[in-house]
Amino acid sequence: MHSSTLVSATSQTVPAAPPRRRSVWAFFRRDPAAAAAALYLVVIVLVALAAPLVTPYAYDKQDLDATLRGPHRGHLLGTDNLGRDVLSRVAFGARISLSVAVIAVGAEIVVGTLWGTLAGLVGGRVDAWMMRVVDLLIAFPSLLLAILITGIFGPSLINIIVALVATAWPGMTRVVRSEVVALREREFVEAARAAGASTRRIVGRHLLPNVLHLVAARSTLDVSAIILIEAALSFVGVGVQPPRPSWGLMINEAFPYLRSQPYLLAFPAAVLSLVVISLNVFGEALADALDPYRRRR
Amino acid sequence: MARYALYRIGLTLPLLIGAALLIFVAGRMAPGDPVAIRLGDHYDEAAARAIRRELGLDQPIWLQFVRYVAGAARGDFGESFISPGRRISGIVRQTLPLSLRLTALAVACAAVVGLTLGVVGSAAARSRLDRVLQVLVVVALSVPNFVVAALLVLVFALWIRALPVAGLSTWQSHVLPVVVLAVAPTAYITRISRTSMLQVMAEDYIRTARSKGLPRPRVVFRHVLKNAALPIVTTIGLAFGYTLTGSFIVEIVFNIPGMARVGVEGILQRDYTVIQAVVLIYTSLFILVNLIVDLSYAFFNPRIRY
Repeated sequence: MHSSTLVSATSQTVPAAPPRRRSVWAFFRRDPAAAAAALYLVVIVLVALAAPLVTPYAYDKQDLDATLRGPHRGHLLGTDNLGRDVLSRVAFGARISLSVAVIAVGAEIVVGTLWGTLAGLVGGRVDAWMMRVVDLLIAFPSLLLAILITGIFGPSLINIIVALVATAWPGMTRVVRSEVVALREREFVEAARAAGASTRRIVGRHLLPNVLHLVAARSTLDVSAIILIEAALSFVGVGVQPPRPSWGLMINEAFPYLRSQPYLLAFPAAVLSLVVISLNVFGEALADALDPYRRRR
Repeated sequence: MARYALYRIGLTLPLLIGAALLIFVAGRMAPGDPVAIRLGDHYDEAAARAIRRELGLDQPIWLQFVRYVAGAARGDFGESFISPGRRISGIVRQTLPLSLRLTALAVACAAVVGLTLGVVGSAAARSRLDRVLQVLVVVALSVPNFVVAALLVLVFALWIRALPVAGLSTWQSHVLPVVVLAVAPTAYITRISRTSMLQVMAEDYIRTARSKGLPRPRVVFRHVLKNAALPIVTTIGLAFGYTLTGSFIVEIVFNIPGMARVGVEGILQRDYTVIQAVVLIYTSLFILVNLIVDLSYAFFNPRIRY
């Protein structure tokens, strides 16, 4: 109930259901903010993919004769305290932050959907126990759970991803399970069962396709939540480790030079904030557009 | 009411014990042997056995867990892993009140400001003001709190020099940390209260109240707000969780000697017992606040009975 009120709160523009092909175009025309957000995200993703090609320097290339220089020709966004090129670090930071987030969300989708579908399908005592595990993980504030994992097992990239998945999958599981439980009792599923369809077919043809829109909307919003947690972990020092660049880490490294070199803060902070804003704007527009009930109104 | 309260408390206990179990197991799986760290270069088998007995590490694992939970329930979290002899309970007593004070101030500010903005937004729904508020809400929920902190420090402490950069000695030094902590929860409360108010405004009994001639402010405050209160109360509880985790960032940025900073220092020094204690205390607080919220929910809404 919460997620639906959250969604309806911000978006007045509700795309109607247009015919297939043109729907993407119509979606963006009705919601220019979502279109701008999507465009920005595409650019950032391209930069992340092409980071080694578009950046003038390696992210860890130090030039100790040219430290803390403001933006100028040669270093368009300036250099940091070790003389590393800020532009290159922001671009490689995109690569690291985004790939960690995408892998974590991918894993979240798999684990959350499997766990939720299984619990909802089996029901009874198994369902109850499976959901107790979910309740337990949700009881932790998410940043704390992530800090517990990377703080104790060490901040390797794998552990960071595990920590991020641990914070995200229980929420996804709740969404999927409650939908599966509701769908299981619907007439078309009953009809399929009466017609002799196997459980596998019911899950594959009737249940999963009908929870997909929830999974898509939820996971888009989770990308932004996960990017925020990764940035916070890196900022605190239990996330991505130097000399690897992550936006959160770069912002942490910019703090001592806040007064004299504010550009060190400005670029990673702006890129990171805009990514999260864009993901939230796009995610909410997507949730509206994909919700079959909302569409009919 | 009493039956529901008992039922709800009964749900909370296993959650607390489960959280403690998870934290306990994570600590036991951590790399490094506390006994080896204590002995350092003087390591030999006999001494190690003696310390193991002293720490209770020779007992079966389930008994160790029971003792851990029993200790934690009394506020005893053992000793620091890195500097043996330093009781964690002492550290907690020194630092927790400070963190709680900041958190409480931030949640209070967020509740007052968020509720006000939510009521204003819903009363002026779809107006320009409302749209601006909506955009601000998305921005406030998206911009990481350490970026907010950096911007505010830059403007108010370094450029205008109106507020101190760090510490927590005067009331002025409370302003920036509380504001940074409150930004995201305020936005969240604004959003939920606006939505909740709008939902109630669409109800028939509100139209009835208006059409029988009651003035608009009276309807908004007496009828709408009262019926829209439940989701808002829940959100204020959730805001507490936001603020608790936010304090990890804020206490570092503003150099505040609170418990979250102890936790972060524990992480950087790999002091597992300190990490465990901090996570356990904050998670328990979060669970308890949610319990209180749920109980108040039932108190406000007589329809909720199990």
